[in-house]
Amino acid sequence: MIFWEIAKRNIRIHLLRSSLAMLGIVIGVVAIASMGILGNSLVLTVSDSLNTVGDSVIVTPHVGRTMGGFNGGAGGSSSISITEQNFLQIKRVSAPNVAIPVLQTSDRMKLGVGSDDIVTIIYGLNPDDVPDLLNLKEGGYSRGDSGCLVGSTFARDNNVKVGSRIAIGTDGNKGTLRVTGIIEERGMAFDVSTDSAIVVTKNWFDQAYNRNDYDKVVVKVKNLDDLPAVKTAIENQMNKRDKIVDVVDTRKTMETIFEAFGQITTFVSAIGGISMLVAGVSILNIMMMSVTERIKEIGIMRSIGAQRKEVMSMFIYEALILGVVGSLIGGIMSLLGGYVISSVLIQTTKYLFVPSSLIYIVYGVSFGIVISLICGIYPAWRAANLNPIDALRHE
Amino acid sequence: MNEQHVMVFKDVVKVYPLPSGDVTALGGVSFQVDRGEFISVMGPSGSGKSTLLNLMGCLDTPTSGDIYISGTRTKDMSDKELTELRRDRIGFIFQYFNLFPLLNIIENVTFPMMLKSQKVVDPEKGRAALRSVQLDDSLFTHTPTEVSGGQQQRVAIARALINDPDILLLDEPTGNLDSKTGAGIMELMSELNRKGTTIIMVTHDPNIAKYSRRTIRITDGMIVE
Repeated sequence: MIFWEIAKRNIRIHLLRSSLAMLGIVIGVVAIASMGILGNSLVLTVSDSLNTVGDSVIVTPHVGRTMGGFNGGAGGSSSISITEQNFLQIKRVSAPNVAIPVLQTSDRMKLGVGSDDIVTIIYGLNPDDVPDLLNLKEGGYSRGDSGCLVGSTFARDNNVKVGSRIAIGTDGNKGTLRVTGIIEERGMAFDVSTDSAIVVTKNWFDQAYNRNDYDKVVVKVKNLDDLPAVKTAIENQMNKRDKIVDVVDTRKTMETIFEAFGQITTFVSAIGGISMLVAGVSILNIMMMSVTERIKEIGIMRSIGAQRKEVMSMFIYEALILGVVGSLIGGIMSLLGGYVISSVLIQTTKYLFVPSSLIYIVYGVSFGIVISLICGIYPAWRAANLNPIDALRHE
Repeated sequence: MNEQHVMVFKDVVKVYPLPSGDVTALGGVSFQVDRGEFISVMGPSGSGKSTLLNLMGCLDTPTSGDIYISGTRTKDMSDKELTELRRDRIGFIFQYFNLFPLLNIIENVTFPMMLKSQKVVDPEKGRAALRSVQLDDSLFTHTPTEVSGGQQQRVAIARALINDPDILLLDEPTGNLDSKTGAGIMELMSELNRKGTTIIMVTHDPNIAKYSRRTIRITDGMIVE
């Protein structure tokens, strides 16, 4: 096709000018794709650290609630809590889903003779509920009150193994527990964050800290579509007169978090998009220059029988070549840019070669080509609609 | 319409509207061109010669009056059809050659063929056209700027002839050439005319006009003889 050939040759003879226009597109694509990759990597990083699969409803005492009685348990437990009666109500309205009461405090503990005291979180759970909530990577679930489970980070940091003993309380005054199992890494979770914690039986917890109520209730919902209904049922039951509990649907919460991250990713990509618009103006500028320089040539073409659409195609091809070449170079460089940014800002590149990150390169390349084409249309239209006589007379 | 007439002008008026007032370039021109004629259009600067040539080449439309090319009224044709008419039945030869600098000589010559066929064409016809205007084979792959003015004009003639047009329109074809080269070009035109090509040539040079067999003189937008 002769007009394709002419477009290629015109770019070649104005190589510096064309290269600068392409550089603008390259920068635009790199900006969009790199920012998108960074945003997506951040989302994936957070997603990995949030272990919750979004299948729970978490019930906690309402913040600001005034209660007749305070639980003054040792170890700094919260001053407001969910009573056994509250829990039974929650359990009843959540049925047949499993409602798991959770006790939580923090205390000193010693891991061996002569070792320093450390302070960590202690969860109290019914032994029957533990398999519903936690998976073990080593050992087994503790049935008796003298056993406990430890989080994987806790175990790694303190060199704790199955069979190790932990003395709880100042100088072990709460008693000594044997580690029966190590919990799989869970990351930060809405229900229980066990990675740096230990999990004891509810009985042991009640005796040690004189507690008879709960810090939260986790309802594991079997059918995810029931999540909103379970949440509403609990709210309706518990907050009839006064608001005494806060109820969180973890799936909804996660959706909100990811939506927020998605908006951040879109925002930073849009900032990259501005540089693409500048590049588009550069393409428009050189295409207008190209038309102005070749007015006489256009007049000759029209006089010897070139149709308007053929003249137009010649300039569209030129814009397309600049856009496609610039965008593809930009796409390749985006991988490099994404690698560098990910390495520097989030210290890992494992999220770079996943489809949800790579799609931003496709977006960047596509946007670059589309912007180039759009910016080539007006100059091409102008060239095609020149009066042949005026164009022929042009010097 | 006589079959013999390849072009007919009937009371053609061309007025250019300008902010300072309308300018009448042609004030009611009528004539016809028969197949195989060799016509010179002569007149002083500003007399309307170029306007007449533009109208003959369907690059412009008359303000009033009718132009017929081989029996078809140009007023009834769309821009697309007029462009096809220029491509298929009219050959242009300009004073300044007007070759495409981005294309080599053989590509310049075959360009109108490509417009017509919409695909890659056999360059052999282009080579034959260039040989028919006595251009050396060694120059075929050169760019226009690498050959002389006379050679460029031969390339322009080959390009104008490549689609076997009915009419050749020449605008001062030797105006940018030395007299010897110009004479060579005009011998070539005479030869083409003897083979049956209708030629209409705008010139102000009486020595060049002598090659034609009929002269239309135009002054102030009117044919005077």
